Amino acid sequence: MGPAPAGTQLRGAAGELEVMESILKVTGKEGKKQSSKSHTVPGSPVEGLLKPVKLSQAELYKEPTSEELNRLRETESLFHSSLLRLQVEELLKEVRLSEKKKERIDAFLQEVNQRIMRVPSTPETELTDQAWLPAGVQVPLHQVPYTVKGCFRFLPPAQVTVVGSYLLGTCIRPDINVDIALTMPREILQDKDGLNQRYFRKRALYLAHLAHHLAQDPLFGSVCFSYTNGCHLKPSLLLRPHGKDERLVTVRLHPCPPPDFFRLCRLLPSKNNVRSAWYRGHSPPGDGSSEPPTPHYNTWILQDTALESHVQLLSTVLGSALGLKDGVALLKVWLRQRELDKGLGGFSGFLVSMLVAFLVSTRKIHTTMSGYQVLRSVLQFLATTDLTVNGINLCLSSDPSLPALADFHRTFPVVFLDSSGHLNLCADVTASTYHQVQHEARLSMMLLDSKAEDGFQLLLMTPKPMIRAFDHILHLCPLSRLQAACHRLKLWPELQDNGGDYVSAALGPLTTLLEQGLGSRLQLLAHSRPPVSEWAISQDPPKHRESGTLTLGLLLRPEGLASVLELGPEADQPEATDFRQFWGSRSELRRFQDGAIREAVVWEAVSMFQKRLIPHQVVTHLLAIHADIPDTCVHYMGGLLDALIQGLKETSSTGEEALAAAVRCYDDLSRLLWGLEGLPLTVSAVQGAHPVLRYTEVFPPTPVWPAYSFHEQLRERASLLPRPDKPCPAYVEPMTVVCHLEGSGQWPQEAEAIRRVRAAFQLRLAELLTQQHGLQCRATATHTDVLKDGFVFRIRVAYQREPQILKEMRSPEGMISLRDTPASFRLEKDTRHLPLLTSALHGLQQQHPAFSGVARLAKRWVRAQLLGEGFTDESLDLVAAALFLHPEPFTPPSSPQVGFLRFLFLVSTFDWKNNPLIVNLNSELTVEEQVEIRSGFLGTRAQLPVMVIITPQDRKSSIWTQDGPSPQILQQLVLLAAEALPVLEKQLMDPRGPGDIRTVFRPPLDMYDVLIRLSPRHIPRHRQAVDSPAASFCRGLLSEPGSSSLMPVLGYDPPQLYLAQLRKAFGELALFFYDQHGGEVIGVLWNPTSFRPQHFKASNTKGHMVVSQSGESVIVPNIEAILEDFAILGEGLVQTVEARSERWTV
Amino acid sequence: MVARRRKRAARDPQEGIPSPPGYSAVPIKFSEKQQASHYLYMREHRVREGTNSSWPQKRTLFVLNVPPYCTTECLSRLLSPCGPVQSVELQEKPDLTESAKEPKSKFFHPRPVPGFQVAYVVFQKPNGVSAALALKGPLLVSTESHPVKSGIHKWLSDYADSVLDPEALRVEVDSFMEVYDKKIAEEEAKAKEEEGVPDEEGWVKVTRRSRRPVLPRTEAASLRVLEREKRKRARKELLNFYAWQHRETKMEHLAQLRKKFEEDKQRIELMRAQRRFRPY
Repeated sequence: MGPAPAGTQLRGAAGELEVMESILKVTGKEGKKQSSKSHTVPGSPVEGLLKPVKLSQAELYKEPTSEELNRLRETESLFHSSLLRLQVEELLKEVRLSEKKKERIDAFLQEVNQRIMRVPSTPETELTDQAWLPAGVQVPLHQVPYTVKGCFRFLPPAQVTVVGSYLLGTCIRPDINVDIALTMPREILQDKDGLNQRYFRKRALYLAHLAHHLAQDPLFGSVCFSYTNGCHLKPSLLLRPHGKDERLVTVRLHPCPPPDFFRLCRLLPSKNNVRSAWYRGHSPPGDGSSEPPTPHYNTWILQDTALESHVQLLSTVLGSALGLKDGVALLKVWLRQRELDKGLGGFSGFLVSMLVAFLVSTRKIHTTMSGYQVLRSVLQFLATTDLTVNGINLCLSSDPSLPALADFHRTFPVVFLDSSGHLNLCADVTASTYHQVQHEARLSMMLLDSKAEDGFQLLLMTPKPMIRAFDHILHLCPLSRLQAACHRLKLWPELQDNGGDYVSAALGPLTTLLEQGLGSRLQLLAHSRPPVSEWAISQDPPKHRESGTLTLGLLLRPEGLASVLELGPEADQPEATDFRQFWGSRSELRRFQDGAIREAVVWEAVSMFQKRLIPHQVVTHLLAIHADIPDTCVHYMGGLLDALIQGLKETSSTGEEALAAAVRCYDDLSRLLWGLEGLPLTVSAVQGAHPVLRYTEVFPPTPVWPAYSFHEQLRERASLLPRPDKPCPAYVEPMTVVCHLEGSGQWPQEAEAIRRVRAAFQLRLAELLTQQHGLQCRATATHTDVLKDGFVFRIRVAYQREPQILKEMRSPEGMISLRDTPASFRLEKDTRHLPLLTSALHGLQQQHPAFSGVARLAKRWVRAQLLGEGFTDESLDLVAAALFLHPEPFTPPSSPQVGFLRFLFLVSTFDWKNNPLIVNLNSELTVEEQVEIRSGFLGTRAQLPVMVIITPQDRKSSIWTQDGPSPQILQQLVLLAAEALPVLEKQLMDPRGPGDIRTVFRPPLDMYDVLIRLSPRHIPRHRQAVDSPAASFCRGLLSEPGSSSLMPVLGYDPPQLYLAQLRKAFGELALFFYDQHGGEVIGVLWNPTSFRPQHFKASNTKGHMVVSQSGESVIVPNIEAILEDFAILGEGLVQTVEARSERWTV
Repeated sequence: MVARRRKRAARDPQEGIPSPPGYSAVPIKFSEKQQASHYLYMREHRVREGTNSSWPQKRTLFVLNVPPYCTTECLSRLLSPCGPVQSVELQEKPDLTESAKEPKSKFFHPRPVPGFQVAYVVFQKPNGVSAALALKGPLLVSTESHPVKSGIHKWLSDYADSVLDPEALRVEVDSFMEVYDKKIAEEEAKAKEEEGVPDEEGWVKVTRRSRRPVLPRTEAASLRVLEREKRKRARKELLNFYAWQHRETKMEHLAQLRKKFEEDKQRIELMRAQRRFRPY
């Protein structure tokens, strides 16, 4: 009996703790297997829950051993804390290669070496004659132009050397690469091979021949080509072992020239090695001496010559220093989490290793340092040193023949010279990539310095994909447009230098262009690096345009976003021409208030929503006029989700303005209250306590002007009533305002009497507001509703001492003690905590203009998933606030989109079971206090709700989550968020357009046992639905301000009334889910525990019936009658009740 | 089982409705249209000897599982054929005492949303109870002659009812406060009278209103006193004076570190179990 236990995750037949456990399961897929195993062990302690540590006195105070003391001392001096030390050790264990695997790899390498040496040689042919190449293998290089002088023959390599991180022991899992340098014998190469890509052609042919022979070998599971670090002139051959070791290792073969083959002076950054006559078919105008330099081309040759010397340098530095190796491994993890290490111009692991070597040589790092200290020192160095201005040099000799650093600065954006003094290691790194590295380093240093957070998690374990790190994202697609852009930007020399790779040629100039255009709006611009593709040896190498898309990420500066004006120089200044040229037709002369006549650009933007998207206008405009990229090729992902928080018929705003209007109206009202004359006690404070007044109401209220003919009129009470023959009138939710009165000893000291006096105040307030300001008011015992400018406020008079009086308990000895009671708790929440929270979040909105959007989008999503009623408004607002107050490792979001993605990430990954979410509003909690809260949390975990949110005002009890969510609901939210995040990110990262962005907002309905479909006629907020209906019912509103002598219908929402009845009557039998924003369906889930037949008890017969089962009479829920009750209780509202009987066969 | 149950119902309709021992089951429906019915489980209200109950013996019918749409009036109408009904009381839970006689103020105690309730029906004569127990049903809550509102119509009328008359509220508040003020004044007068007057054993009661007020007897106040004492003592104490004190501080520090270390180890263990160390 009872519903089938399999199926939805929501059914929590198990106890609370078990469900809490499953919350964690989602966080790691691997963890799932483990904890499901633990399910089978009965009586085992709950896994995954931290318990306060209990050590016996003897254990705590025993004499320490010297070993223990040493370790403690070491931890203190080398690491931040013992936790960090343990975490770092664990992480390294996870990413390090095990000895066993190393042995297997070594054996494989031996084999590879032998096979390579056995590849047969070929007779000499012209480079252009490639007929000797067997069918089934293609040259892994774009041979444009095809004709090139020189001869080629294949000879086995003169030397096969392992280079790179594998040898150093700094390679990290999961993808282990072993780089092997194949020194080509001198006979293959000829003089002047450095010219016109001849060396690269030979290199490619060399690989092609190798590939053909190795591919036939059964030793290899796969043989394919790839580009070395994404460089299109330098293919490499990837070998993977056959069979189960296929994923174990990738061996990359890099042919390289014999040592001292190329003369270094020919490869200086100022030298040309690709002749225009050859490359472009004609010489540059003028004499032959003005050939453009080819710095990148030269660097790529140099890189090949220096492979071995770099490895030698690194092995002498890192050699025996374990700490340094740990440090390099940590840095690699750090880079990888930030997606900085891949592709052409990435800040690769090799670069950081060299950086560590540099810091050792300048004595900033010592070989005895721990991995953590190395990480810290390198980050510190990166954060403070701008290599785009002050390059660094590993070369110690002061040979005057060496090129000067300044020469390199002229040609390369980022300069870091190797020990030869000729090779710029950062040649391919663009300025924006380096700035991104610097930005990340700075953020990380800040994080490491603040002691409050778990730095390790945020620094090394949290991935920072572009979509989640940047406020706005734009894709340039198709990439072939960039070829035209190169021509428009006159980048022919760069193309020549890059061997025709127009993507990397255009990248630098484009980013500079946009950086200049976005100016003060921009904090950081980053670009994705084209991914390094792999292709089968029988295929042609991928074209440049096939290298995916170019994605740019914009990190916006919120202060800069507010302005719509781009102020240029005065019209008569010489810079004015530049300005005009830069902005093209958008630049216009304007006269300003101070009398100056200046060039200026003004963007059309009125609302916050439009202002946030000015960067979109800037980007499309600049790309169109300067780079010939039409706006159809720019796919801007910035405000796509905003449509979900746009009100009815509003397309130009996301409601920030409407919210501000409501807040202004509230300010006016509070002024009226302050100045009210004739109250027995004067008003001492007016505080807002409604989501609107902290900018987090999903759909902001609009002024209401009800059409009287649509309503029934109750003249003597000055009120409108809904009419049975009309559709439900518009939903008007009064905004709660708490009004404190000055202290007085005249208040009675008894709860009942206080309520009467408060009621008297409410009446008096209504009377005075009507008399003195002509406002329409309606008083009840607990509040006064005031209609002002179309907004309705609900004023609640509060008496400061009332909660205390409700708490007072008198012990038999006459001692008065204070104990929380439900009533006092509620009152305190409403009159003390809620106003405090509202004002704090109101302040947060002033600091971070995107807060409103993020909080509303988050709330909208939770509600759209039908879980809205499981969470209090405030708890969701606080989670959103946490994204702004504790953004680490990110920066505070400046657009709703990125904020929402991070909300999903936070919800799906946060370990609610073992951690409180600390929201440090106004930074009132000190670091020590936070640490104390965290440690205190473990001790009291069992008494706290499943979701614990701590604020400075509420350090112990987590008031906003006391009544929910239940463990099941929270788990469901975690699950949904974990599913929604990748879907949404994939949509946003898809350059062809996001498709239907509302997908993640549609709830899955198949998990519910019963669906109650409602009639739209009686859903007042029907138009707010995620998929807004094309037509809905008239809700009796005038579009023009009308008379305000009658109070509109307040808070009348039939679905809510219906739900309240359902929950009251059947709350023990089922859970009800509904989206308050225009949901047309109520999902019902039966509670499996209540379906077990029980013995008759007078207290739990509700909705049950007695049946005799095997001679015994037991009670079970009377489902048929209950289903009919659903329809009866919601008569007129309910359309159908769909029971999916197969799911709940009793 | 729904299907199964239906089959069984079809097979032996005459068998009678199963009911718990001591109760009789009476089917109740909202209206004719409803197919399935809920069951009222009724019995005579009885209490064990020695228990106090204010419900009249013999004449009171105890009804369980009253559906939410069934109101007091409705229940009274449905049961009146069994005999004249004196009163009907609907409650959340079975409760032995009759609720306070005076009606609650509609201003200060809004009616809660009803769920399934229990009812105490007091008949004027004892034979009403036995007649009720023999009812066959099904009882109909809403009939054409006495329609009961539900759904939209109910909410509409509820909304109309919630718009109250402020004048009535004022009158109620005033009358309550008058009574209250009188009570307080009486108490004060009595306290004043007693002040300074020793009782038969010679004790004088000292209150906050006395000429020399004393500390209020609250927990907070006594805690404050204790705190003050403690601080006073702490000021006098010498730290790091004796060698053993020094040693102990060091040991304490070590113990703290050890405890922290253990905690961290536990955390790490947990994270390892969850594979939290796999960075990507």
